Amino acid sequence: MENKSPLSPHIQVYKWHVSSLVSIATRITGIINILIITLICFWFAFLLLGESSYELIKLFLNSIFGKFIAIGITWSFSFHILSEIRHLIMDLGYGFEIKTSNLTGIIVIIFSFILTILIYLLGRQLI
Amino acid sequence: MVQINLPENSKVQKGQYFKDKTGSKNIRKVNVYRWDPSSGKNPRIDTYEVDMENCPSKVLDVLNKIKNEIDPTLSYRKSCAHGVCGSCAMNMDGKNGLACTTSHADISGDINIYPLPHLKVKKDLIGDLDGLYKQYESIEPWLKNNSKNNKDEIYQSQKDREKLDGAYECIMCACCSTSCPSYWWNGDKYLGPAVLLQAYRWIIDSRDEDRKERLQKVADELKLYRCHTILNCTNACPKGLNPAKAIAEIKKMLATT
Repeated sequence: MENKSPLSPHIQVYKWHVSSLVSIATRITGIINILIITLICFWFAFLLLGESSYELIKLFLNSIFGKFIAIGITWSFSFHILSEIRHLIMDLGYGFEIKTSNLTGIIVIIFSFILTILIYLLGRQLI
Repeated sequence: MVQINLPENSKVQKGQYFKDKTGSKNIRKVNVYRWDPSSGKNPRIDTYEVDMENCPSKVLDVLNKIKNEIDPTLSYRKSCAHGVCGSCAMNMDGKNGLACTTSHADISGDINIYPLPHLKVKKDLIGDLDGLYKQYESIEPWLKNNSKNNKDEIYQSQKDREKLDGAYECIMCACCSTSCPSYWWNGDKYLGPAVLLQAYRWIIDSRDEDRKERLQKVADELKLYRCHTILNCTNACPKGLNPAKAIAEIKKMLATT
């Protein structure tokens, strides 16, 4: 009986909402960020190898795929930082009401894109 | 451990279809999780066509109607039908709640009813909550007062009493704990929102003298800190309580004392 009992469905049936989406996205972007930081370290290591390897990376980052990656990284960092700030506020004991948490969650999502655009414009020296 | 897929014996199959026999024009499809321990088969989803003309407003009424009029083999827990006992906690439309306080009018489309998530199923919509009750026992949910002259009444100011608001109302229906992904993956060690809310209720009780020991007992990487503020618990609570905030308060107390 004990072993025969099935496990009731969980993540397969449970509905997502703002807070759970932000939470899982924070974890995913966190893992991506660790990988990206490693890659950036490699990038700096490449600089030691001289101008030709620097040119290679510059070529990559100026390609459409490279730009997509760079903007993706910026978003991943922006999202993670904003979400962690939200978590810090929660650690102080604020923002646990359903309405407030939904609002801060949506703010995190929207501002992660705004921050990405801002960083892009700043990096391109357009503002 | 995180295991996204259900084990082989828990994969849900298509079940029977019960066509409406009343000839009513107001029909709703209700999909119900079924598992019969004597059959040796996998769980299945049975679909019932329910006549909504003659059905009261709550999901529990729909289940009662199915059991009384269509299929008497359906099993589920229920008792008070007024949101006080916590027996009829289940997963409706992808969200945990009490069947007796959830209106079927609030659910759009077919009504999907599952047992509380990530529990060993005993039969149909009945999940095994033994583990949760054992954890509840582990926090020693009773007043501990070691005063010598304990024949006297223990006074509590109104202000101290107010601290218990939002914690004492919990009916232990397990909607919150079984909605929590952290509890799904680490339910054997992580105490879960329901039990932690109760732990908090005894920690902040001004009459209790075991505050320090209680705090120390709960201060554990797995018992407490598996809470990652996903807030499924607060969203699920049918009594409108806030277990996530209680857990945050415990964390705060541990950080500041």
